[in-house]
Amino acid sequence: MADLYPYKPGEIEAIVLPDQIVGVWVNKVYKFYKVVYIEPIPRCDAIEFDFGALAAGGVTAITQLNLLEMPDREFGQFRGFVIDDITANLWQGRSDGRYKLNNRNGRLTRATDLRDPCGHTTEFYVHEDDFAFMQVLNPTDYALTQTRVAFYGFRYVLEVAVDASGRQYVWSPGKPENYPPNVWTRVPATAHL
Amino acid sequence: MASPYEQPARGIRKSSAIVNTVAAPAVGTAVTLYQRTTGGQNPRTVILRKLMAWNNTGADAILEIGQDGIDGVVAFANIIPPVLVLNGFDGEWHEDELPEVEIGNDLTMECNQDGVQVQVEVEEIE
Repeated sequence: MADLYPYKPGEIEAIVLPDQIVGVWVNKVYKFYKVVYIEPIPRCDAIEFDFGALAAGGVTAITQLNLLEMPDREFGQFRGFVIDDITANLWQGRSDGRYKLNNRNGRLTRATDLRDPCGHTTEFYVHEDDFAFMQVLNPTDYALTQTRVAFYGFRYVLEVAVDASGRQYVWSPGKPENYPPNVWTRVPATAHL
Repeated sequence: MASPYEQPARGIRKSSAIVNTVAAPAVGTAVTLYQRTTGGQNPRTVILRKLMAWNNTGADAILEIGQDGIDGVVAFANIIPPVLVLNGFDGEWHEDELPEVEIGNDLTMECNQDGVQVQVEVEEIE
């Protein structure tokens, strides 16, 4: 049995194998799917965002990461890093910050991959239309002409998971009708909890 | 080839512009060599990692690297001993030759000659 799970330290790997069941956590509900296909998304210039020139101390608008949009019945697993000397905050849902603590959110900086070269602490998941957003800040005392953030990972093609009788699995907190599969992998695609 | 003195990276590598010295050793006349990053959650600290200087001024120059001395209120303070940059020569000091002095301030410099061109590479810690 492959030892796969979300946020796994080391070079990025798929979090499940084809035919395994995932529960994608979206808006306080687990949606259960069977993975039918997995494809890698290499780190490359095509999956790189440039938020543009930014004055010293400047902050961009909260901007949708449109290149990370996923089609219906798919989710993406991404790790990211900043290229220029910027700080980058991640949201899933425009107002739900990721890397979340009680009083503050973590964010990507050029120091992030010094301590986490494999990027596993940056990992996040984008499911269908539950878009990711980013806001970039220039912490330096000079204007930047480029503010780039790059991503790489895997995409997963899904089908709705059902049991042998065709009954659909469901799970949301405290619901008596919950019916989860016996074995499944949690995919936290939004920040709610 | 890596120096035996080289340590794992602690911070973010940055470089200064090429800055000309101004021959005015009195307090309040130092020149900013590297402006540290202060706009993040906390201001970063700065470690000098590499120093390059080119002296074509017609006379040998004593170059001092330190902090403060800009506003005339806080006196310039060396962070490493003065270095001599011979006329007509370049001087280069790399990290295995430089003490790991970490400052919470901009890097500034003083010199007894006008127009020595100086550039530094620093590591900024956040």
